[in-house]
Amino acid sequence: MDPIDIGLWVSGGLLIMVVLGMRVAFAAALAGMIGLIWIFWSKKGMAGDEFWWALTVATKTAGQVPHSKVASQALSLIPTFILIGYLAYYAKLTQALFEAAKRWIAWVPGGLAVSTVFATAGFAAVSGASVATAAVFARIAIPEMLKIGYDKRFAAGVVAAGGTLASLIPPSAILVIYAIIVEQDVGKLLLAGFIPGVFSAFIYGLLIIGMALTFRNFGPPVSGFTWGERFTSLLPALPIVLVVLIIILFVYNPFGGDAWGTPTEGGAIGAFIVFCVALFRGMRWTELKSALLETAKLTVMIFTIIWGVLIYVRFLGFADLPGAFSDWITSLTMSPMLILVCILLAYAVLGMFMDAIGMLLLTLPVVYPAVMALNGGETVAAADSAFGMSGPMCAIWFGILVVKMAEFCLITPPIGLNCFVVAGVRDDLSVQDVFKGVTPFFIADGVTIALLVAFPMIVLWLPSLA
Amino acid sequence: MAGSASVIEDGSTLSRLDRALFKLETFFALLSGLAIFALMILAVVSVGGRNFFGQPVPGYVDWIEQAMPLIAFMGVAYTQRLGGHIRMDILVGQLKGRALWLAEFTTAFFMLALMILLVWGTWAHFARSFDFDARLWSRDSSMDIALPIWPAKLLAPVAFSVLCLRLVLQLVAYGRAIVLGLEKPVAVPLIESAAEQAAREAETLQGAD
Repeated sequence: MDPIDIGLWVSGGLLIMVVLGMRVAFAAALAGMIGLIWIFWSKKGMAGDEFWWALTVATKTAGQVPHSKVASQALSLIPTFILIGYLAYYAKLTQALFEAAKRWIAWVPGGLAVSTVFATAGFAAVSGASVATAAVFARIAIPEMLKIGYDKRFAAGVVAAGGTLASLIPPSAILVIYAIIVEQDVGKLLLAGFIPGVFSAFIYGLLIIGMALTFRNFGPPVSGFTWGERFTSLLPALPIVLVVLIIILFVYNPFGGDAWGTPTEGGAIGAFIVFCVALFRGMRWTELKSALLETAKLTVMIFTIIWGVLIYVRFLGFADLPGAFSDWITSLTMSPMLILVCILLAYAVLGMFMDAIGMLLLTLPVVYPAVMALNGGETVAAADSAFGMSGPMCAIWFGILVVKMAEFCLITPPIGLNCFVVAGVRDDLSVQDVFKGVTPFFIADGVTIALLVAFPMIVLWLPSLA
Repeated sequence: MAGSASVIEDGSTLSRLDRALFKLETFFALLSGLAIFALMILAVVSVGGRNFFGQPVPGYVDWIEQAMPLIAFMGVAYTQRLGGHIRMDILVGQLKGRALWLAEFTTAFFMLALMILLVWGTWAHFARSFDFDARLWSRDSSMDIALPIWPAKLLAPVAFSVLCLRLVLQLVAYGRAIVLGLEKPVAVPLIESAAEQAAREAETLQGAD
């Protein structure tokens, strides 16, 4: 059997293992291991007495992957970002952020809902956890919105949707993972996420203002805060802004000159700031220990998928499946843009059933080279490319699109996790209610993604400066 | 997609073994967490040293590369105990009773087979860099300040061995559930629906905001 056939069989087997509920990291590693054994054995003509040899070589090849791939400085960014997230809960920043957002922006039509979107987006960005953010804000923001007459389904929708803005605004662990898997500049990807993330939040805000102006009895603006009250609300919320700013400044210096350091250092300093705030707000060893254990658990989960998938990728290299897939994609007569849209739609469907990190890591080794080939190759110049951008820029653009797709799936039926979480926190709301309330945001996200596809400059402007 | 789950405990031998192993796993996971914390402090000191004293931490990158395996591997069994390694449970979530435990037993069995091979493979990777006769017992060393690399390489087979123990224990628990037709077996993570998961998520954050 030739290597590409083995590649197809093993990849099919991997898909079946994942669907049958094997843990993604180990399914990928097992597929890689079996594939390696198979490929080495077939080189010896599948002779019975050569199986032991094939097994030994495959095991030793796979055995190098975990340590050699994980011991890298670039990957050290991931645990610091996750640590920021868990410490942020103990720094009690949620209430402060909501209060500041309320005092500064609640005077616009639909103001309290707009404030909720921005507060949720801000906290989600720093905590990096869409689902947990939705849970926290369901308890802080929904009661306040109900008090002044918002429809409860809409209020729930605002919180569920706001939580999805987490993974674009820095610090974003998922963008780091993307950058590492596709071997692109981590800093530029982090930078690229900023404007689309804020842009999404603005689209949500505009949508709410539009709805407040159209429908009567929607929920009144909240005004009457003095400037003094506004400025005093800023200080407690400042650490969040500081963390986002520091991470950006450690990647790109807008005043000219070098960035302040490496992204890892930015992440570590961000974590240190949040750690100090948490200490100040009364965090003790018990809380720190549980934050460290949670951080370790999530980090290990992510790293296990990374090395698991990289064993599979090692096998894919031998089988040359990504090359074959790229050749097939580029041989299609459809326009490249149409193919790209189809790929994004496929991610939307996949994302309804799978966690974003698992989905990206499993598919990117095959899909990413194909997208790059579609644009004209890794090193293509903007003028010769299909999408009108150079290879590295296309990598950034595609990354932002895919991550936005994955977040979009957190609010789509049937298993949009954010909606379940909000419904789980509020006894008076069913999941159907939340899905109904989130529908306008669902449509807004569709519009945002279309705009990001049509106008890549929204994504690429900031990283092109760095 | 389940990220975590709950584990039932009782006075049986199996559950006692489960909790004993969980203590070791928690200790390992805490080491990983402390390594993350140390990584943070190291970066802060390095940035501070470079900017304020013109003196970066020597071997900064070497130390990070040494710490990463500690962070990445040590909690692997802890995470498995708590059902924290993600998977797609849309299909197995529909199963009940013996069919469910059979499915769980099968995937755990394949995982164990894989991990035994990987203990061997990662041990071989370690063994290539370890040498009793060399300086610091090491055949290779890090780029900048020449730290021996074998201790970091050793962490993978050690952590994976603990995961193997965990998987054996889970196989016994699932096997017991198949034979006895149990509803809620001890010592294994139970699947929760999205709603149950959400409720627990909300509960763990109670008081944290």
